[in-house]
Amino acid sequence: MTTSHRSSLGRLFHGETAVDFYGRRRRGFTVSLVLLVLSVVSLFARGLDLGLDFEGGVAWQVPATASMDADIARDVLRENGLDPANAKIQKLSNASEETIRVQVADQPADVVDAVQKSLAEAASVSSEDVSVTSVSSSWGRAITEKAIRALVIFLVLVTIYISWRFEWRMAVAAIAAMAHDVVISVGVYSVLQFEVTPATVVAFLTILGYSLYDTIVVFDKVQDNVKSFSGTRMPIADIVNVSTNQVLMRSINTSVSSLLPVLSLLILGSGVFGAVTLREFAIALLVGMLTGAYSSLIVATPLVALLKQRETKYASLVGPHSTGDTLRAMVVSGLPTGVRATRRAEATDGGPSSGGSDTATAVLTHPPRPRKKRRR
Amino acid sequence: MTRRLLGSLIGVVAVVLLALVGNLSAGNEIALGLDLQGGVSVTQEPVGEYNSESLDVAVERIRERVDALGVSEPEIIRQGDAVVVNLPGVDNQDEAIRLVQVTGAVLLRPVVSASPISPGAGVPETEAPATGSTPDTTAAPGPSRSIPGATTPDTAPDTVPDTTPEATSETLATDSASPSDAEPVDSVADTADDSVPPTGSDLPPASEFADVAAQPISSDPNDPTASVIVQNIDGTEIYQLGPAFATGEVFNSDATADIIQGGWGVRVTLKRGSGGEDLWNIGASQCFSGTGSCPTRRMAIVLDGVVQSAPTVNQPSFSGGVDITGNFKESEAKDLARVLKSGALPVRLEVQAVQTVSPTLGEDSLRATLVAGLIGIALVLLFMILYYRTLAIVVVGGLVVSGGILWNVITFLSASSGLALSLAGAAGIIVSVGITIDSYVVFFEKLKDEVKAGRTLRNSAERGFKSTWRTIVAADTVSLLAAFTLWYLTVGSVRGFAFFLGLATLTDLVVAWFFTRPAMMLLARSGRVGRRGAFGIKVAPGGAS
Repeated sequence: MTTSHRSSLGRLFHGETAVDFYGRRRRGFTVSLVLLVLSVVSLFARGLDLGLDFEGGVAWQVPATASMDADIARDVLRENGLDPANAKIQKLSNASEETIRVQVADQPADVVDAVQKSLAEAASVSSEDVSVTSVSSSWGRAITEKAIRALVIFLVLVTIYISWRFEWRMAVAAIAAMAHDVVISVGVYSVLQFEVTPATVVAFLTILGYSLYDTIVVFDKVQDNVKSFSGTRMPIADIVNVSTNQVLMRSINTSVSSLLPVLSLLILGSGVFGAVTLREFAIALLVGMLTGAYSSLIVATPLVALLKQRETKYASLVGPHSTGDTLRAMVVSGLPTGVRATRRAEATDGGPSSGGSDTATAVLTHPPRPRKKRRR
Repeated sequence: MTRRLLGSLIGVVAVVLLALVGNLSAGNEIALGLDLQGGVSVTQEPVGEYNSESLDVAVERIRERVDALGVSEPEIIRQGDAVVVNLPGVDNQDEAIRLVQVTGAVLLRPVVSASPISPGAGVPETEAPATGSTPDTTAAPGPSRSIPGATTPDTAPDTVPDTTPEATSETLATDSASPSDAEPVDSVADTADDSVPPTGSDLPPASEFADVAAQPISSDPNDPTASVIVQNIDGTEIYQLGPAFATGEVFNSDATADIIQGGWGVRVTLKRGSGGEDLWNIGASQCFSGTGSCPTRRMAIVLDGVVQSAPTVNQPSFSGGVDITGNFKESEAKDLARVLKSGALPVRLEVQAVQTVSPTLGEDSLRATLVAGLIGIALVLLFMILYYRTLAIVVVGGLVVSGGILWNVITFLSASSGLALSLAGAAGIIVSVGITIDSYVVFFEKLKDEVKAGRTLRNSAERGFKSTWRTIVAADTVSLLAAFTLWYLTVGSVRGFAFFLGLATLTDLVVAWFFTRPAMMLLARSGRVGRRGAFGIKVAPGGAS
């Protein structure tokens, strides 16, 4: 990037970046591996903190007297060392009476008694008027079982679809990247011991969908380039690098656009307005979307390159791949020049700087080759 | 061409506006979920004897009942012994009670006629409510349960397949669908080892076994004394059933799924005496003889208006127990066993209290979500305007149109199908803004490449959209696959999520094709964008390169 007359931001904007994603794949893989191991270890060691909706818990019902409302119930929970953010507090009313129902995950008997007493005090009623019952999970085993079955079927279908629309290698890489994103997001929940609610499950599913979506957009570019470079003897590493750089700006823009609402939920929603329930949901989405965008470029795409390298067509082309200005020239033009591509096959030195200037001029003198028109 | 583009642009805006006016004038509003708006809470307590199976089955039945579309996310919990159902978006307490009251009673009815439901073939012979439109019919025809020769002491295994196609071909004749293959037929056989002589002829032909075909068909599928038309559990077959001759209470509460003659089946014993075995045998003999009330020789086991299984009766008389065999999967056999077990001792739930329930999150959360969401979207738009300048007009327009479509669909379904928007759903929609924006980003980045390559804006817009459309379709197909599979196969909040994912993705596709494409091409043709040097790139002064 020394010969440039543009700043690196300007290059990003004009789609002239030349990041050697493929060459630096080991660094990315290492980061991912560390995160994955941390997540899995934490999942086994600490597990997930399943909330009221999954595990059931205990419910108090207290008459809603003048001195008793949902906010006071929250205070009572706080005094007894329970986090009101994880509680479900509802006001039940009909014509004759009003009660407040407070539900939390299972608690030891002394806590249950203490809360019962405090609630009675706060409402200025006797302890007997505060009923205590156990509540079952609202989620139910059937929901989990059905969801898992549906996910398995979906993964099979999506593998078939990607294999058909693209190729099986991309299906493998996309699924791997998705698993990577979901495991890391779930890992964050385990490490920070956030309580898992149905909304969290929805957040994980959102991450799953987002990850696949993002990967497909990148793969579409790779496939495009594989086609347009098919007549040349370009190593797959170059094709992948060119594609990744070409979609880099799009990936960044999309990530910013998707993250802005989530950040707003996190910072404004839970920070400023104090809607605590949103906090964990937003954190899950934030982590998921960041890893989703990251894994498409850093995990999935190099993985495809590694898999494709075993294809007979590309196996013979393994060798030093282009970097620096050579790469940049290809990113900008979207074309290898015929001269360079053939020369590459024989050349052994592959000096990036000399090759680069060649390419740069070649690109400037050739207008884009008109694409074949498909049916009109 | 210009006219067509303009037509599409005006068309989509007009449709959205018309729907908007329609929804507003009908007074439809978006119903919010339990967490955001609260709802009605119905507490029911079991009275009398019941077992834990029957309570579980009742809870599941309630869930299916109240969540017809699967997206209202009711909350069903067991609080102590009581079953508490919290329903979002229901104002009317009577309606709430009607929704949550399930009987859990299993009825045994003779099958008068049966026809397969084939997708696309329209409604078969009988006019069944909603069969044509339920998602079930689009599914692949269920597992073909041919009869694997139910061996009984007095029936040779290979005689069974002989009787069945004959018995069912009658009803199939009116339908174009292929016979017998897709026909799920189970069979019932006696478990008792001693052979039972066919004594059906001496049994008194019960008076309720009159010629049922002539009877009026009741609209209440739970009316035991009337003929009804109902579907089976896979939605692959539709039946006309005669009045029930017995309830599931003829069985002991001991149904188990077991491997019977090499396949999964259900084994259950009959209660002794007039309330069990005798009652069952009246029906069995009637069905075995294949006369008037039961021409198909099949007996349907019906739970709450859904046929769980409709086996062919292989013997006129049973003593001790019943085997139900067929090409069951393990899970299907277990489900059937559970239904029979709960039907043997159905739980009677009595409504104890009906209360309105406040939202769990409180108004401040709702407001915080809305404000934060709107600010988030405003930030996204600001980012788009800063980055894409003039082109951001298209993004703003597109978002308004997708917002309009989403609002219309959600309001309409809130009013018609009990859809309720929970916090998770709302957040899902906010997140989907990201995916909608992505379509524009992919498009504009492509456009930039084309323009940089020296093409005119007009040319670039056309080429750019073509390649963008392929990308969007590929990526959205994955999202739609996820949405459809999850919606179809799950319940509860997962189903709610899948619904909103699918809705947002479809909206993305519709807006891309009917709004963004014409808007962008018209803008490119007008030349206004080009002259100002959109995206800070000089556009070739004219003529294709």
